[in-house]
Formats: sequence, structure tokens, C-alpha cells
Amino acid sequence: MATILVNGVRREVQAPADTPLLYVLRNDLELSGPQFGCGMAQCGSCSVLLDGKEIRSCITPLSAAANKEVTTLEGLPARWAKQRGLSAADAAHTLHPVQQAWIEEQTPLCGFCQNGMMIKATELLERNATPSAAEIKEAFTNSGPSAHLCRCGSYTAILEAVQRAGAVMAKGGKA
Amino acid sequence: MSGLTKKDSVNVFGAALTRRELISGGGALLVGFGLAGSGVLNQTAAAAVAKNSLDPALPESWIEIHPDNTILIRTGKSDFGQSTTFTAYRQIVAEELNAKFEAITTVIMGDTDRTPDGSGAFDFLGRGTPNIRKAAAYTYQALLDLASQRLGVPKDRITVKDGVVSAGGKRMTYGALVQGQHLQLTIPVSGDLTSPMGLTVTGNPPMKPVSAYTIIGKPHRNSVVASKVSAREQWATDVRLPGMLHARMLHPKTLGSTLVSAGAVDQKRFPNARVVVKGNLVGVVAPTEWEAIRAAEQVARTTKWSDWKGLPGNANLTDYLRKADWTTTRVTKSDKSRGDAAAGLAGASKKLSATYEFPFLKHAPIGPTMAVADVRPDGTVHIHTHNQNPQALRGEIAQMLGTSIDKVVVRSYSGPGHYGRSNGGNSGGEDEAVILSKEVGRPVRVQWMRPDDFQWSTQSPAAIADVEIGLDAKGKMVAYQVDHYMPAMQDDRPVGAILAGLPTMAAPNEKADFLGSTVNGLEDPWVYDGVGILAEHGHGTFQVGQKESPLAIGLRDHSMRTPGQFQQNYPRELAVSEAAALAGADSIQFRIDHATEDRVVGVLKAVRDASGWQTRPSPAPHAAAAGDQPMRGRGVSLMLRSGSYWACVCEIAVTPSTGKIQVEKYTIAVDPGIVVNPLQLKRQVEGGAVMGISHALLEEAQFDESGITARDWRTYPILKMADIPEIKVVLMHKPEVGYYGGGSEAANALAAPALAAALYDATGKKARRLPLKPAYIQELLKA
Repeated sequence: MATILVNGVRREVQAPADTPLLYVLRNDLELSGPQFGCGMAQCGSCSVLLDGKEIRSCITPLSAAANKEVTTLEGLPARWAKQRGLSAADAAHTLHPVQQAWIEEQTPLCGFCQNGMMIKATELLERNATPSAAEIKEAFTNSGPSAHLCRCGSYTAILEAVQRAGAVMAKGGKA
Repeated sequence: MSGLTKKDSVNVFGAALTRRELISGGGALLVGFGLAGSGVLNQTAAAAVAKNSLDPALPESWIEIHPDNTILIRTGKSDFGQSTTFTAYRQIVAEELNAKFEAITTVIMGDTDRTPDGSGAFDFLGRGTPNIRKAAAYTYQALLDLASQRLGVPKDRITVKDGVVSAGGKRMTYGALVQGQHLQLTIPVSGDLTSPMGLTVTGNPPMKPVSAYTIIGKPHRNSVVASKVSAREQWATDVRLPGMLHARMLHPKTLGSTLVSAGAVDQKRFPNARVVVKGNLVGVVAPTEWEAIRAAEQVARTTKWSDWKGLPGNANLTDYLRKADWTTTRVTKSDKSRGDAAAGLAGASKKLSATYEFPFLKHAPIGPTMAVADVRPDGTVHIHTHNQNPQALRGEIAQMLGTSIDKVVVRSYSGPGHYGRSNGGNSGGEDEAVILSKEVGRPVRVQWMRPDDFQWSTQSPAAIADVEIGLDAKGKMVAYQVDHYMPAMQDDRPVGAILAGLPTMAAPNEKADFLGSTVNGLEDPWVYDGVGILAEHGHGTFQVGQKESPLAIGLRDHSMRTPGQFQQNYPRELAVSEAAALAGADSIQFRIDHATEDRVVGVLKAVRDASGWQTRPSPAPHAAAAGDQPMRGRGVSLMLRSGSYWACVCEIAVTPSTGKIQVEKYTIAVDPGIVVNPLQLKRQVEGGAVMGISHALLEEAQFDESGITARDWRTYPILKMADIPEIKVVLMHKPEVGYYGGGSEAANALAAPALAAALYDATGKKARRLPLKPAYIQELLKA
């Protein structure tokens, strides 16, 4: 039995402490954002934020998430609403600027890797809302356990979406 | 109420419109497919429409028009990220119906029991007339017939806009036309539902003239994007059934190993796990995923397999292919081949002779294959998966189990792109899930791990090509000869069925008539019609290791984006660039000078203008093959695919001392005739460009004598974001062409020959094999 804080809600799970967080999120908590891509922290499809830092849930044991705050793709809207102090009513129909930008730019092709791409973008833009193209490429390639990989080749669309989202976040949410 | 009386049946250009019954409230026009006369249909087609398929006698349909003016469409084609079924198909149907794009609120795709046709996730646009377009055209005519009766005016006096019919001052919406009625339109089809090519809608309903298009050609968003980015999408990976067990596979030690003995589960550590063995198929199942993974790892350590070494290893691949038996398979010859090549080459002033080598590539979906199967006590089989050809999968599963296809239902969900790997009906895990589910009597979810996916999936076949080009005294190509050698490309046998010793289709052989054939067809349409003598031949053989493996497995191949054409266009386009250099000509102008078709010339000029190309021969005046400074060069390539014309220019910087190539700019022009959706096409082309650069620079499925040695993203690297170039896409919208070409996958094949030509431009050295990895380039530049 372990208790973890996921997307602002305290959840109790019956899983061995060494279970990778990914399987707990997907199977026990029925969250579908993080995906199983490699199980080796080599691709980024399974990314979540752990206390605001992007981690690979496929190799992170459940025990490492205890007493920390996990944010998944499902939790990005509430994370944004909390950061901006939006009312519950507004928050309910607001996407995170990163998600909104992904729609505006029609970024995903198959979309399987995009969970990790959006998590990475959120981590980056919370630190630096106006990254240059070089900084974005650097963040998605060389920061964290591995580069974030997209087999469909959507990197150009990701880069454009990150810049669009950043512009919104820099202005405090006004597009 | 006016309208059709109970016995009425209206002939709609060969389709039959009938009212099944008058119903109170609700109502809909349901467009199903009907079996045409026996002269049109072969017997397999009739047999293939099973009880749990949409049937002509049932009201399920291609298109439903509802009383609330919403429209639902269904297609057997699964969208794998192309966006076609969610955007282009909506545009095409809305256009033919004269309805609003937004009126089409629901798209159902892929599910074998809920969609009318089959076939794979390829050729979505059907050379301008996909099934859904004809179905919509028939439907439109039926709506006009209904409107004619309701409004009391002849069909030709009715006008329709945004789903509203009007005539003589009266107006009705489509919803009002179908309100309170239950109508069925029966349209003619031919083909075999569970064959890889599926069914085809036949007949010739009138279709909207291109000049009247208002919806096709406009940017439209893909509705599924919002669902995916907001975590509302139902992915195949999300399917969980009551009582379901998780499984991990223990695939054999090599591609030719047989099982000596399966290990046992340590029940103290894994009390709920169980080993399942069927022939050479070994899996471990458990109620939780983590227990299944851990128990599988433990069992693998004590499971014994025979050894096998029957592959040449990739270092010896070219020698192996040279010595392979190409004589038992029919040699193909392109339609355009003409003249005496030997004489033409003998009489040439200058001659280019070259061999080009193309490696095995992995489709490498970003998520490994997975499926959930439920084999029930009543003998029915339900499969939940992500598959490019669910109807074909259904046929393969029925064959494997020795049952009829009406016992098998496949539901398809979103998942990682497969790039052709499951277009023949299976992606690797479905059949294994079925076998395990049948053995344990519960639903089973098979998830391949990353190494399974690299080592036990199919690959895109390697190829070699021998090219000879003769130039006359003026530097014009007078003769072009090529011999393409490629092992069989399409092995659709489910691997789990092979391992378990269950029935499958035959291994690739000379006698198979299309798919599963060892015949190497000519896939790259010739575009240089100014060349007088042409001899294009294709030579085929068995898959590497297929004959040697006791399991008849070897390196199983499958079509991948631009299949066959990639292997043939790469040598052609690189050789033509080399021939231009031999002639002392600019390589774009050289191509233009040998083309006779306006669209070939047009796409070349477009890419030349957009890239800022400087007209001059290669290599560049500054070219050098040594030093620490990056050398810059550019190259071009050209392709005609599925009615679309493509050209790209790659600009690179290569550092001779390190051999590292950076693509700095990639310009691509496409003339597909009509651009259906410029927003989505642009994204598709950008994606293809990046995948193509990845293939050209990095990708090769390495193998030793026993199997594929790539096991993860370190041993099979793909392009990262830091390595992308500036990408410029030029979409040439040409309504006057009169149709929309397909083949946006072509973008992935264009990079390799353009990149190798750019390397020559920068350094004066000819790279004739792929990938262009630093070690190879360093060695090449030193030579």
C-alpha cells in the first residue's frame, strides 16, 4: 500500500513498491496520458512531472514518488488553472496553453509520443517562457534521461507549438 | 406524409434506394453496400461478408444522415496519424453531399463489425476516387431523388447548399428529408473483404465537378488531435477487460531456434504468474503487469532454446545477396522499357556504372506492438488492437484457429504509427494474444517489450541495384539500364502462429500472385521520357534466412512507407545526379532536359525557385574531402508516386574530419493535383522529410548470424530534434489536374538520394550505400 499525490488528489494504491510508476498510473489509476514506449527511459513517451521536474515513469519506482507531487497530461489544465488562480468554473473548460498550442499547430501525427513532448514543454516553459529555437532543441534533445523521440517526425510542429505556448504563458495566459 | 411508398425502389445510377419501413420519430438515410450481380462479384466476396460484418441486408452503413442534420461516416481504413479519415474524408463526403464539413460529427473507422469495407492504411485517396467518395456520390443522388418527390419538382431543378435542398421557393434540410423514414441505399461493390485490398465500390455515380469545390482545398483541423492532446482519446493501450491477464512473451533466442525446455515460474516470488507454452511460443501471464514482466524475466533465465546461425550478418549482406538464387522468380520489366540497352550503352560517349546498396530498415513504431484478445467459450474471438488492416487480421486469425471469419471481431483504436508494418493484417502481438487467451480461457493483453519489437517484427527489405547510364557527346542520357535485386517484401504470416505451429498463409514464394510473392515489381515510375533507351528490371528471391531457418522465419520483411519504390528511387535519383555531374551539367537542369511531362518540369522548377538553387554542375567549386571545416553542398531528387509529383533539395554541411553530416535546409515541392487539406498535408510532408533524413543518416537494422541485434533506441537510433533542418514545404494546388493524388509518404524517400548527391557536391566523393553514418563517411572521404 502506498499513497501518492497525483494531479492534486491523494491516491492509495495496492502495488509493490518497486512497480514502475507508469504501470501504477495506467493500470491502477486508469490514466491514459503517459504511454509505454520503451521501458528504458530512452524515448520520453511515459513522461510525467514529479515536483515539476520531468521524469520517466517507466523506470521510476512507485516508492520514489511517495510524498511528491505527480502531474500527468490529465493534470496539466488544473496545474495551469492553479498557477493562474482561475476559478473552478473557468478551470473546468481551460486547457493548458501547451495543450492548446498543440491543437492550434496541429502538432501530433500518430500522437503516441506527444504526452512526453507536452510534459517536456511544460517543464521548459515554466522555467523559461520565451525559449529560442536553439534552447527548445537543446531541451528536447539533451536535457533529462534521453532525447524525446518522435518517429513520425513532428519535431518542426513541436518546436512551433512550444513557441506559441510560450508566448501565451509569458503574457499570463492571454493569447 | 409524402415520399416513398412501401414498395418503392428508386434506381440511383445502378444503386437501389428503398424505404425499409416507416418509423415514427427518428429516421435516417442509411447507405450500405449491396452485392451486385454475380457477374461482378467473385465468390470470395460474397462469402467474405460475414454475419458480424455490415451486410447489405442490415441497416448499418457507410454514411448516415440523421434527422438533426448530423452525418456519420464509416470507413474500414484506420487513420494512423495521416489525418485523412478525420479531415480529407470529411471534406470529400461533405463536398459530394453539398453539406457542411462540420455536419459530419462522427467518423467510425477500422472496426470489422462496424465499418463497411476493408483494406489497409494506404492509398487513402484512391487516386482521386476513394470508396467513401463514391458512396457519398450515390447518397447525394438518392437525396436528390427524395427531394424531388418531397418538393414535387424534377431533380435537375433542385439546388443544394450546406445540406439544404431548395426548389420553387420551398426548402428542406437533409434531416427533414429523412425524418420519420428508414431508408436504405444499396450500392454495388466488388472484391474480398478480408483480402489485403478489401472491397471496392463500383459503378459510376455522377460526381461533383472539381470546379465547383468549396470544401476540398481548404485547411481543416483534425478532430482527433484535441482528443489526443487532452488525454481524452481511447488508445489501444488503454483497453482493459474484466478478468484480463497481462502477458509478456519469451521469444526464441534466435530467428531459427526451437524450444528445448521452458523454465518454470518461481511461485514463491510470483504466486499468480503462469507459463503458457504452445509449440515454440512461450508466454508468461499474470494478473498484474509488473508481475508478468518480472516473472517473464525470471522464466527466461531458465528457458532453453536450440542454437541457430543461418543469417549472413549485415557486414556480409551484399555478398550474400549477390550469391542468392534470383533465377527461380520471374524477372519483371517496366512498361516503359524500350530499345536495345546493350547497344545504346556500347555506343555511348561516356558511361556511368554503379551499384547502390540499401539496408534493412525497421518501421520502429514509437510504442511496441500490443493487443488484447478474448477467446470466448462460444468460439468467438474479440481482438482490441491498433492495426492498419483489421479485416485482413480477422482473416488471418480465423485461418490460424481453423474457424470462420464470422467468429472473429477486430476493434481498432488509436496507437503508435506503424508506417506499413500492419498493412497486411498483423503487427505481431494480436495472434499471440489470441493463442494465450485460448490457452488460459481468459482475456489476455500481450505487450511486446522494446527488444521484442526490434527483433521479432518485420523489416523493410534491403536491396541492391546495378545502374548503367550512357551519355552522348553532348552529355545527354541516351540509355538507362537498371537491375533491382530485393528479397520478398511482404510476409504477412502472423509470427505467433508460426511459432505455435498453427496454420498461416504460405511463406513468401514464387507462385503467390501478389502479396507474399517473391516477385520484385517495378515500383518507381520512370519520369525521364526524353531518354531513348530504357531497360528496368526487377529480380526477386526469398527472404534472407527464410530457407535456412527451421521455423521458416529468417528476416521477415514488410512494406514500409513508399515500399519498393524507396529501394528503387534511391539508386535512380542518385545515379541521375551522378550522370549530370559526368555530363558537366546542373543536376536540376539535367533532369528538366530529360523530362517531357509538364508536371515533372513544374515540380523541379518549383523546388529550384523555393530553395534558391544556384545553377552549376557538381561538385561545388570549393568542394574538399579533408579538413575540420564544414563543407557545404546541395542535392536534388524527384519522384512520381500515386499521381503526385515530388521533388526535394537537401542542403548539407559535412565535416570531413568527423564524417558528421548536418542537414541545414530541406526544401520540398509537391504537385498532387488538388491539395485536399493544405494544413494537414504540410504537417505530413514535414514529418516524412524528418523520417527520410533519419533513414538516410542513421538507420540500418543490424543483424548477426542469428537475428536482429538492434534492441533499443541506442542500437537503432533515429533523428533527434536537435538534428532537424529548416524545412520549407511548397504545396502546388492545381485543380486543373482534376484529381487529388496521394502518397504523402513519398517525402520520406526523397531525402536519401538528395543527401548523397549533396555529399558529392560538397566533397566530390560518391557515397553509394546507406546510411551515411560518420564512420562510413570518414572512410569514404579518406579513400
